[in-house]
Amino acid sequence: MNAVLLIVIPLLAAFISIVSKKIAPYLLLVVGLFNIVLLFFLENGLVFIGGFDVAMNSDLLGISLLLDTYARMALWLINGLILVIFCLNFKSYKAFSSILLLAMAGLNGLLLTNDLFNFFVFLEISGIAAYLITSANKKPVSTFRYLVIGAIGSSLFLFGVVVLYAMYGTLNMIVMIQAIQASGNYAEVILPFTLMFIGLGVEAKLLPFNAWVKGVLGHSNTLTGPMIAGVYAAAMSFVLGRFITNLFVFEGSLLIVVTVLLALGILAGDVMAFSSTKTREILLFSSIAQASIVALLFVNGVIIWAVYLIIANALSKTVMFLVINKATKDVGSDESEALRGLFVNNKLVGLTFTLVTLSVMGLPLLAGFVIKLNFLTQLAGIGQIVLIAIILVASVIEGIYFVRLIVKLWYPGESEISVKYNYSFKAVFIVIALALLVFGTYSTPLTKLDNTIDTVMEVVNNG
Amino acid sequence: MRKLFGLLITIALGVMIILALDKTSAFPKFGEVNLQERISNQYLTEENVEMVGSANIVTAIVVGYRGFDTLGEVTVLFISALGVAFIFGGTKQQRLDLKFKPNFMLRVGSNVLLGIILVTSIYIILHGHLTPGGGFPGGAIIASAVLLLYLADDKFRSNVKGFKLIEGIAGSIFVVVGLLGLVFATAFLENFLPVGTVGQLLSAGIIPIIYVLIGLKVGSEIAGVVDNFLTEEESA
Repeated sequence: MNAVLLIVIPLLAAFISIVSKKIAPYLLLVVGLFNIVLLFFLENGLVFIGGFDVAMNSDLLGISLLLDTYARMALWLINGLILVIFCLNFKSYKAFSSILLLAMAGLNGLLLTNDLFNFFVFLEISGIAAYLITSANKKPVSTFRYLVIGAIGSSLFLFGVVVLYAMYGTLNMIVMIQAIQASGNYAEVILPFTLMFIGLGVEAKLLPFNAWVKGVLGHSNTLTGPMIAGVYAAAMSFVLGRFITNLFVFEGSLLIVVTVLLALGILAGDVMAFSSTKTREILLFSSIAQASIVALLFVNGVIIWAVYLIIANALSKTVMFLVINKATKDVGSDESEALRGLFVNNKLVGLTFTLVTLSVMGLPLLAGFVIKLNFLTQLAGIGQIVLIAIILVASVIEGIYFVRLIVKLWYPGESEISVKYNYSFKAVFIVIALALLVFGTYSTPLTKLDNTIDTVMEVVNNG
Repeated sequence: MRKLFGLLITIALGVMIILALDKTSAFPKFGEVNLQERISNQYLTEENVEMVGSANIVTAIVVGYRGFDTLGEVTVLFISALGVAFIFGGTKQQRLDLKFKPNFMLRVGSNVLLGIILVTSIYIILHGHLTPGGGFPGGAIIASAVLLLYLADDKFRSNVKGFKLIEGIAGSIFVVVGLLGLVFATAFLENFLPVGTVGQLLSAGIIPIIYVLIGLKVGSEIAGVVDNFLTEEESA
């Protein structure tokens, strides 16, 4: 079994799917399941692609993929979520099957590739797939803005890669890391790293490169909301984490600029969520704040808890966007006043939404609390008191707007609203809420995994 | 004012990048790279040329060593064409009115040119491993022939379903050829056929096969995009 199958089988299915559109949705289901099962059988390590002779592969003339624990966790999450989100939208968005297959191939490629140009190719594939997915919002101007900003971002990323290639003569990430470490002259790589960071920052929703988010997520539906705020946000955070931990070197004034930008992103996101009355905007601004926290943790070397935060966020945001976007579709408005009393007749959905939201806020007994406690402890360990203060202030603001939202959704208004969630939706909500509850009360498995996330160089050095 | 601000920022960014690169000693001046220190030098050794069997070594890199990138690029075009069809395509399409009326001479002349263009494209695709060219330019030339037919005849519609079929099948076979590399050699898209003698038409292992598939795929995809742009939904 070879890790390249995780990318090429969805691609093959996408090519076949346009020959017969009827089988496309079923192909997506089969391929999604195949990928999840395949991940159990794949071994960690490098996988070489292309070439003419086995001996040549060792000379790094071709492209390679790297599967490690970090990538495996990301792949399970991404493939699993795409499958679940598609199952829930099976009837309404069948036409998107081929696009979702390509999104799956593109995101898997981003998470696996060990080659910088190959990474750009997958950035393009997953990016174009994302633009097409957001076309389901039926807001062409917002989608077009996303396309323009995304295209500028990926061009800057490519420019950064070009500069790095000109300097070190390789596209292989591991060889590149070794070359940069050997040269020791980090001042010279500030320009390419900044360009690449901006390129990834666009997709990872980091301030100030996230002008597209409001238009796209503010009009999202049950497909686009969870896909962009759940799947894509998680994949891009994982990718950003990989680059920050292994390749980028933030030192001196660059470190200060990046830290200030990310801290501003956290505060700005939460303040904007606080001042908004639209439910979808509250969720999307909260996602911006969370994405900045994740990036900040990676910059400070708090890797494992950043990974857990990405996973918890992806699952939580999937539930939250599904609940709100389904209600918005049935009620016809996403104003929090219009959705007042949503949970009166949907107690089970209300309970799961409340649990998930409390977990995002970081309240005890839920996974969000364990994660927040641990990353704050680690930040304290490295003396980042200012960052801790910023995150705590942001948490207070977050607490206020989320509690305000939950109270509104539980207490009935003047008119009764009727929103029906079918059993498949409820099942997904219950499973995710239970998972957050279980890992919140029994956190041993989380702390046990602590030491298995190595950097790329550690993975290579350990064979 | 906003545009002026944008222009100033762009110029400032440009100047900053040029100054930064100029001061970077590791960033080589144009044409002054020491190839002996670079991995790319290994592609150019005589042993390597003998091993890959491709007279055009750039093709050996693009389709052989970095064939996975090429599969990715083909996919980028595929998803772009899919997107255009997704946004513009409907169940019943009719031709857009052209601003000019094509006459008889234009139609007949285009049909004569069609054959020449197609033969040229086949030549360029089949010789991708011998001379500059290959599947991407060859495929684009095929699509240009289709565009010519659309412009020379305001009633012409190509067989869009046929193009979709070619697109899907060519893409699938590309992936299958890659998978055969896993079965008969050791890696995805690794060559598993004899490479033959450098300079002959039948040489370079799987490269000509992949280029034919890319040519068909690119040609049918762009032809599909041409159709999408030159048609509109039938008015009820």
